[in-house]
Amino acid sequence: MGIDRRTFIQLVTGGVVGSLFTPVIWKSLDDASIWSQNWPWIPRLKYGTITEQASVAKFGAAPCAEIVKSVGGSPYLTRGNAENEMSKGGVDPVSASGPQLMYSLSRVNGPMKKTAEGKYESISWEEAEKVLSEKLAAVKGKKGKLAVVSGDTTGTATEVLSGFAAGMGAECYLMPSEEQGAAVALSSMGGKGQIGYDLENSDFVLFVGADAMDSWGSVVRNQCVYSESRPTGEEIKTTYIYAGPFQNSTAAAADRWVPVAPGTGAIFCLGLAYHMLKAGASSSASDFADFKTLVMSRFSPDKVEKATGVAGTEMAAIAKRIMKSSAPVVVAGSEFAQGAGAADVIAASAVNMLLGRINKEGGMKILPELPKAVEAAAGRSELAAKDFVGYLAGIASGKVAAPAVMMSYEANPIYALPQNTALAQAVEKSGFLVSFSTYMDETASEADLIMPNPTCYERFEDAQTPYGVGAAMLAASAPVAEPLYNSKPTVDVVLGVASVLGIDLGYESADEVYQAKAEKAGADWDSLIEGAAYVSDSTESGSIKFAASVLSKAVTMPKGGEIALAPYSKLIIGTPTVAIPPLNVVAISKFELMGKDLMVQVNSKTAKKLGVSEGSKVKLAGAGGECAVRIHINEGVMNDVIAAPLGFGHTAWDAYSSGKGENISKLLTVGTESGTGISVWTSSFVSIA
Amino acid sequence: MQQMEFDTKWTMVVDVDKCTGCGACMVSCQAENNIAPMKEGSNKLKTLTWMLVYELNNGKEFPNREVAYLPRPCMQCGHPACVPVCPVVATTKDEEGGIVSQIYPRCIGCRYCMAACPYHARYFGWLDPVWPGGMDKALSPSTSTRPRGVVEKCNFCHSRLLDARQRARAEGMDPNKLPDGWYQPACLESCPTGAISFGDAKNPEHKVHELIKNPNAFRILESIGMEPQVYYISRRDWVREQSDNVAPGSHAENHAAEGKH
Amino acid sequence: MDSNLFPEGTKRCGLAKFMLWMAFPAAILLWGVYAAGQIFYHGIGVTGLDNYFGFGLWITFDLAVIALGAGAFFTGFLKYILKIDQLKNIINLAVVLGFLCYSGAMLILTMDIGQPIRAWFGYWHPNVHSMLTEVIFCITCYCTVLIIEFIPLIFEQKQLNKIPFLHHFAHHLHVNMALFAGIGTFLSTFHQGSLGGMYGVMFGRPYAFREGFFIWPWTFFLFVLSAVGSGPVFTVLVCTLMEKMTGKKLVEYKVKALMGKIAGTMLCVYMFFKIIDTWAWATGYLPSIGLTFEQMFYGNVYGQWLLWTELVLCGIVPAIMLITPSIRNNPTLLYSAAILDCIGVTINRYVFTVQTIAIPVMPFDNWEIYAPNWAEWATTLMICAYGALVLSLCYRYQPMFPQELKLNKK
Repeated sequence: MGIDRRTFIQLVTGGVVGSLFTPVIWKSLDDASIWSQNWPWIPRLKYGTITEQASVAKFGAAPCAEIVKSVGGSPYLTRGNAENEMSKGGVDPVSASGPQLMYSLSRVNGPMKKTAEGKYESISWEEAEKVLSEKLAAVKGKKGKLAVVSGDTTGTATEVLSGFAAGMGAECYLMPSEEQGAAVALSSMGGKGQIGYDLENSDFVLFVGADAMDSWGSVVRNQCVYSESRPTGEEIKTTYIYAGPFQNSTAAAADRWVPVAPGTGAIFCLGLAYHMLKAGASSSASDFADFKTLVMSRFSPDKVEKATGVAGTEMAAIAKRIMKSSAPVVVAGSEFAQGAGAADVIAASAVNMLLGRINKEGGMKILPELPKAVEAAAGRSELAAKDFVGYLAGIASGKVAAPAVMMSYEANPIYALPQNTALAQAVEKSGFLVSFSTYMDETASEADLIMPNPTCYERFEDAQTPYGVGAAMLAASAPVAEPLYNSKPTVDVVLGVASVLGIDLGYESADEVYQAKAEKAGADWDSLIEGAAYVSDSTESGSIKFAASVLSKAVTMPKGGEIALAPYSKLIIGTPTVAIPPLNVVAISKFELMGKDLMVQVNSKTAKKLGVSEGSKVKLAGAGGECAVRIHINEGVMNDVIAAPLGFGHTAWDAYSSGKGENISKLLTVGTESGTGISVWTSSFVSIA
Repeated sequence: MQQMEFDTKWTMVVDVDKCTGCGACMVSCQAENNIAPMKEGSNKLKTLTWMLVYELNNGKEFPNREVAYLPRPCMQCGHPACVPVCPVVATTKDEEGGIVSQIYPRCIGCRYCMAACPYHARYFGWLDPVWPGGMDKALSPSTSTRPRGVVEKCNFCHSRLLDARQRARAEGMDPNKLPDGWYQPACLESCPTGAISFGDAKNPEHKVHELIKNPNAFRILESIGMEPQVYYISRRDWVREQSDNVAPGSHAENHAAEGKH
Repeated sequence: MDSNLFPEGTKRCGLAKFMLWMAFPAAILLWGVYAAGQIFYHGIGVTGLDNYFGFGLWITFDLAVIALGAGAFFTGFLKYILKIDQLKNIINLAVVLGFLCYSGAMLILTMDIGQPIRAWFGYWHPNVHSMLTEVIFCITCYCTVLIIEFIPLIFEQKQLNKIPFLHHFAHHLHVNMALFAGIGTFLSTFHQGSLGGMYGVMFGRPYAFREGFFIWPWTFFLFVLSAVGSGPVFTVLVCTLMEKMTGKKLVEYKVKALMGKIAGTMLCVYMFFKIIDTWAWATGYLPSIGLTFEQMFYGNVYGQWLLWTELVLCGIVPAIMLITPSIRNNPTLLYSAAILDCIGVTINRYVFTVQTIAIPVMPFDNWEIYAPNWAEWATTLMICAYGALVLSLCYRYQPMFPQELKLNKK
């Protein structure tokens, strides 16, 4: 067969035109573009009615009033509830992850008990409650046989637990927080109630240690108050100064950062007091003379400089600046929201007293406790002052017998306690560990019985006067979603078990308890659950004193010459109760986590001294344990200080947090504060290998 | 390339001095825009962060170190580098308000736009998004999910603009003259320090109209002339100085010295 | 065994030996296919590419082979349009190489774009402002042209050519080859230029951006010139490699030296304009946006040595060597110059692709370092292996080298 030019052209043209006229090409192109948009493994969106409901999120360390957006009943997004005084709008990065935490992979699906082989077996709620009742019946009325710990400092649920513990003849403790030191401080100073700070009316705020923008007090509220004082594009109304060892979020936001050695907040405050006293500051408090003698003799500028690293002239300038302000306030706390003891708060209060700022607008307030809903429960400050770490340290050292039953609510003591290696073991020594955790956290993973509490989106919840806020207040919320799993509100569980054991707490269900709390506080329940907070403007009357005798014992000068650890806590990394939420993983700084390695921060001078450089792998050893970390050079850290983030090194939970970095809590060294006897762990030193 | 002008100009103004770097905006952004959670997040070159908070410092040693946080959404440039380069018109700046769109079903994933954008505002779906174990129940209805292999970026939560316009129409108002505050992106709603302001810079009734004229207001890389619709404000000189390249003795430096932008 | 498939009158090694050789590229090819499978199954996340380096080894490789494959269009242009008849002795190889380079680049692109089944959107939803649209048009069209140019070569295989239909088909294509060479030249010039334009228009990327006159026509022609200044000598190098491997003379040295002269002339023109371009960029454009020349470089990975190597060692040096007859006529020196020339153009494509996007433009941004991972290397080497396989088959079974019989007479 021969083809000529004509045939050739016909063949080629015919072939091309012919195939273009068949639908094959066009149909397959069209289909291809449709397929590429509809892969079956890419989830489709769920459409439905979009609803908004106010809620009080308890995922963060402090309650956060937020508006939860749901589609077809499933929460998917939150935003700040600006109408609610408790947090004034905005959300913290943990509460922002609320819906993802509700659908978290780590949720416990229902009650479980540990079998003889150490595995978990699902059981019914009836069985779980029966097991619990039996265990508790055996220890009822026997001192030291039951211990209850709650990580929820603001909820009425803790009152229920406390009342229940009282009925059982047992102790109820709170997980470590700023509130403990503040409660002990206030009682040492002869006051009652709760310390708060009226930041919104202050024109000069000095934070000593307290990382108000990331861990101290009601963080979102602090941030909102800070924001209100400096409207974008306008003049600054309130000056903020941060004094601490590390340039944390508060230091970054403040107008000035004053580097102060870790754990020396009280010395810094008393150093300021020295200059104020020299300038003639006075007080009518009964022990003013003792206080003045103490400060003038032991906190002279040279000694303070040696301990804190702040030059005398600088201290004098700060003191002058504060005294010049019309409504200054000094707030002290731990750089990582725990373990500071009472001395820091007493010392800061002393400065506020010298400034005449107690119960003044924009000053330090002594707030009343809201009336209790459960009569048998311990009062707020009484509960806060109890020393759980001290109790566990006793068990660890064998001085105190381990309890037969320990109940843990909204808490993850096995992960979050200081000197973690020793104290977690103390928790594990309990005969029977019950965890009410929503998530399969480290404590639940060791528990003999898990009775999951639903998330705060699936239950009634309330929050009273978070530590640090300037007025007594109450917020509450109703569930925003149907329960996802077979969980049961712990308050209901405890009320049920209490009635089995013949303990009358006065209520039959959780929402009754919350409503009663609102009623006793004088709040309107309906408006609370619609998103408004109840705010009381009353303060405690009665004067406080300097507690000079406590200060003289509690404040000791550091030996110096060692490498101090400055732990810090950031909400993006989670809280002591909630591990890194899924969406937060990408927002964690590359200077804190590199792959699976934790990064700790030192400045270049310290790095040189230690012989390390950027990215060096080193082992930090503290009194309580060791951590393998990498070095990041950060000039925002004081000399001879290693700053390290808490919140990493989870062993339970899920792939978003487990196995990432190290748990710095291991390095914290627990000591006892002379004068008050409570446990403190803000002065930890480490060695490097 | 011709530049389109619109009667409305959705503009973000970020007060750098107020940002504490907490990261709530980054979390909300992911929730609103259905960015799947990632198990490994420390390689920042592979993560998807439409809103990204940069950490800036003044370059000085202790104790003179200062730090600032700078949230970076898509700049929605008036003269975008990404739009003209896209071979398939998958990204456009053609809608009233000036938001640079990204059309996921159109994008072929060539990443030319990413190479063109000096702000690194564009991200690529390197792997399929996965919401394990029922986490897809928390998907937002606002933003479609994307398969892997397409470029994605911040769009100022565009569906919220559509919602706000819808509301305006329902209330008998001009959907192109929205009152201040009706349209706000998710990052703004979650920001606890109110560092983010948002509105129509061309509408005198909107706060941002004045804010962008603030003497401390600046944009990033103004010298390149991309005309971003995101402004920053900082009282700190060293922060403002890091907004653009000013080489010693360069024209730009002389320019800056004259006090002009 | 397969001797009656060999081109008329030629000698080839035994089939076993041939298969043994073919096993090497085949193994690499299989490794690449495995990597490609991973990439298509899991996504591009398995590579070392990331949000800073959306372009990396793949794009560098594509641009480099497209430049080096310019031997095809330029030799075709000289042979068919300018009628430089000597080039008929190497044109077949140039065409095969061009086909391999372009088809290889297209294969890489199917992996490199995130949504390969939407690749045709470039035609359906074209953005006429985008350089890449032009590149997509031209590269696909030119690849088709190269296929058309390659087909007659296949059909001229001894046995296939006995089939009358294929014989006539090939014949008619051959008759019209000048037309295709013309189209090829047109398309190729366009997209070589557009590839430069792709980078030149990125006004957010100071390393690549050129203003006004320096983008059009300057950058366009720089890319065209650098391609035609290196493509011909790349063909020579491949030819020489084949000669070394087969132990036969395939193309007269005179032809190679001519190719070297052609490339050298183009390279000289290129270097002249490239140096002016670099100078104007470093002293005019960069300062105008507040940047300095030094800021464009970082450490060893992105150091100035890359620029100086590209411009001097792999630019000016080979240009002079190639245009100097005495140097050019020495085989060792010609091949050395050719190697330097090819390295130079590859460095050029690499820095435009990778360094351009590695430079932090925002003052608070950081330099990031890109390193291709195994998946990118495997797929890139897969294309090289594919080239080796096709070239081996062509050499064994196709009449590629008209001078082979004459040069190897004993």
